[in-house]
Amino acid sequence: MSLQRLFQKTLFGIFFLFGMIGVATSVLCIRTVDSYLSREYEANSKGIAKTIADASVDIILNRDLSVLQSLIDQFVEIQGISYIYITDETGEFLAHTFVPGVPEEIRIGYTGSTETVERRLPGIGDFVEVSSPILAGISGNVHVGMDMGLLSLRIQGAIGQQVYLITSIFVGGVFAAIWLMGLAAKPIAQLLSYAVKLAGGRADGDDRSEKLLARDDEVGHLARLFLYFSEAKDPNRIERATAAGPDPDMSGALGG
Amino acid sequence: MAPLTTTTSKAASDSGADGQQIVLGMSAAFSGPTRGLGIELYRGASAYFEHVNSSGGVHGRKIALKTYDDGYQPDPSVQNTMTLMLEDRVFALFGYVGTPTVTRVLPMLKKFQDQTVYLFFPFTGAQPQREPPYSDFAFNLRASYRQETAGLVDNFVSIGRKRIAVFYQADAYGRSGWEGVRRALREHGEKIVSEATYRRGQRFESTMGRQVEILKAANPDAVICIGAYAACAAFLRDAVDLGLQVPVANLSFVGSESLLQLITESRPDRDRYTDLLVNSQVVPSYEDARIPAIREYRQLMLRYNPDPPQDLLEQAYSPLPQSFVSLEGFLDAKMMVKILDVLGENPDRTNLESAVFSIQDYDLGIGELVSFAPDRRQGLQTVYYTIVDAGRFVPLDDWKRRFA
Repeated sequence: MSLQRLFQKTLFGIFFLFGMIGVATSVLCIRTVDSYLSREYEANSKGIAKTIADASVDIILNRDLSVLQSLIDQFVEIQGISYIYITDETGEFLAHTFVPGVPEEIRIGYTGSTETVERRLPGIGDFVEVSSPILAGISGNVHVGMDMGLLSLRIQGAIGQQVYLITSIFVGGVFAAIWLMGLAAKPIAQLLSYAVKLAGGRADGDDRSEKLLARDDEVGHLARLFLYFSEAKDPNRIERATAAGPDPDMSGALGG
Repeated sequence: MAPLTTTTSKAASDSGADGQQIVLGMSAAFSGPTRGLGIELYRGASAYFEHVNSSGGVHGRKIALKTYDDGYQPDPSVQNTMTLMLEDRVFALFGYVGTPTVTRVLPMLKKFQDQTVYLFFPFTGAQPQREPPYSDFAFNLRASYRQETAGLVDNFVSIGRKRIAVFYQADAYGRSGWEGVRRALREHGEKIVSEATYRRGQRFESTMGRQVEILKAANPDAVICIGAYAACAAFLRDAVDLGLQVPVANLSFVGSESLLQLITESRPDRDRYTDLLVNSQVVPSYEDARIPAIREYRQLMLRYNPDPPQDLLEQAYSPLPQSFVSLEGFLDAKMMVKILDVLGENPDRTNLESAVFSIQDYDLGIGELVSFAPDRRQGLQTVYYTIVDAGRFVPLDDWKRRFA
């Protein structure tokens, strides 16, 4: 029982250590994945906005706006892009993909800024809006709204996979630690049992005792040491103990 | 009656014409909420083609229509066009339906310009096939949306209705009409006072209440709708129900009879919903039997009563005896036959363009002469306006009396 308590402390130490490693790794993963995917998402969005802006120049200057609408309709089919709108240099909305109309949050107070902004559109959702100027802004701007809900889902998915992996390793590590502790505890329990038998004068060289004495590790050393001390009480039997062979570790302990 | 639609996987020859037939390729909406447009355009064209075929064809060749359903969606229309051009190898493309579809197909015509496949008489008044860089690959018969919207705006402004709002389909078609209204209003020093959109493919059962509220908040004098019949009928229903009591105009593409059918069926107070309705058309009223081509159209529609392409129908369809859309298909076919006739006994795609340009002052039978030239690739210019009277669309003669 006392041995189990000794290993319980060790096990708890291991659990705590593994837990700390797992939590720290998960937090780091969450931060890394969130930051990486967010940056990638924004970079892709900016690339799309710039592509539309570059393609829009000729259309705005020379062609019917239905061509512009057709262009953005194709881009809005890309997963993650929720809306696109294009304004001219005066802020008039030349083409957009909103139904039933351009939300007031965007329409009212439109400044023509091309900074990346986060938008919350009631009834529609949360978006990261990236922009790109058309012909350096003198022909207007392209604005692309990316669905933050979808981004969050992707981040959660990626993080979920990481956490799942870390948790699996943690649980596996715990079971491995219990198994290894069991392996270590078993010979010590046998040693304890042997020592109790020696103390009671009941160790009569059975198979288990012989195996214990034959072990070439600390348990074996201890078993032989216990036997030595036990037989030291009986001078007739001390020769038998020493006949088991020289033991450098024990000889030190015995002063030999 | 011989079926007009070809069933072979490949046309008569690599050029789409041989000694027996000339194959034209058509991609249109034969399914979905806009199918009435594709089906009626097909039926109108079929009536004339069947008439010509039964009379011996064009220089002894029968005209066949190879049809595909695109459901009024751009991607299928592109795929269908690939099939028509590269596998079926049709002689020419004919009677495509819709702006979002045609707009996406035009770059393909340019890509394969060495094959000289032209698009004849698409059922859209949008600008892309009327302007460079794609105008060289298409011929139009109907007036443009710009002409239709300009006519509507001019007439509304002339009777003092200057505050015009727009309800439009959120795609290239809607934007084309929106652009037309915007340009026309700019000529009068006005702007669009409010706008609302809907997603393509909406059914009549959809609610347009939010759109009505948006437009109503701007207190418009009139609303111009750029959409298809199901959505526009839903908007008209909700506008009347929510008290938006202003004239509501639709463009020719809407499919007037289908709209009227939806808005009036099962309604005892149907006049309430149609009194303020005005639709622009690009063909004259099929009710006007004084017009020779109308008499011919009515006679041939009655005689042949063409079936929709059965293999493309997903649901049962009740054909309309007459409609503006089938009349347009009929006139498209008549113009196409004239071009093939001019092309001569050895039809060759490379001569098609010059054959079209040789047509000058051709009388289709509707009172407007048709001419084509390199800088004139649209045959007709006239826009007609119709209102509902006793459950039928009739010409609008006096805007002031009706809407002032």
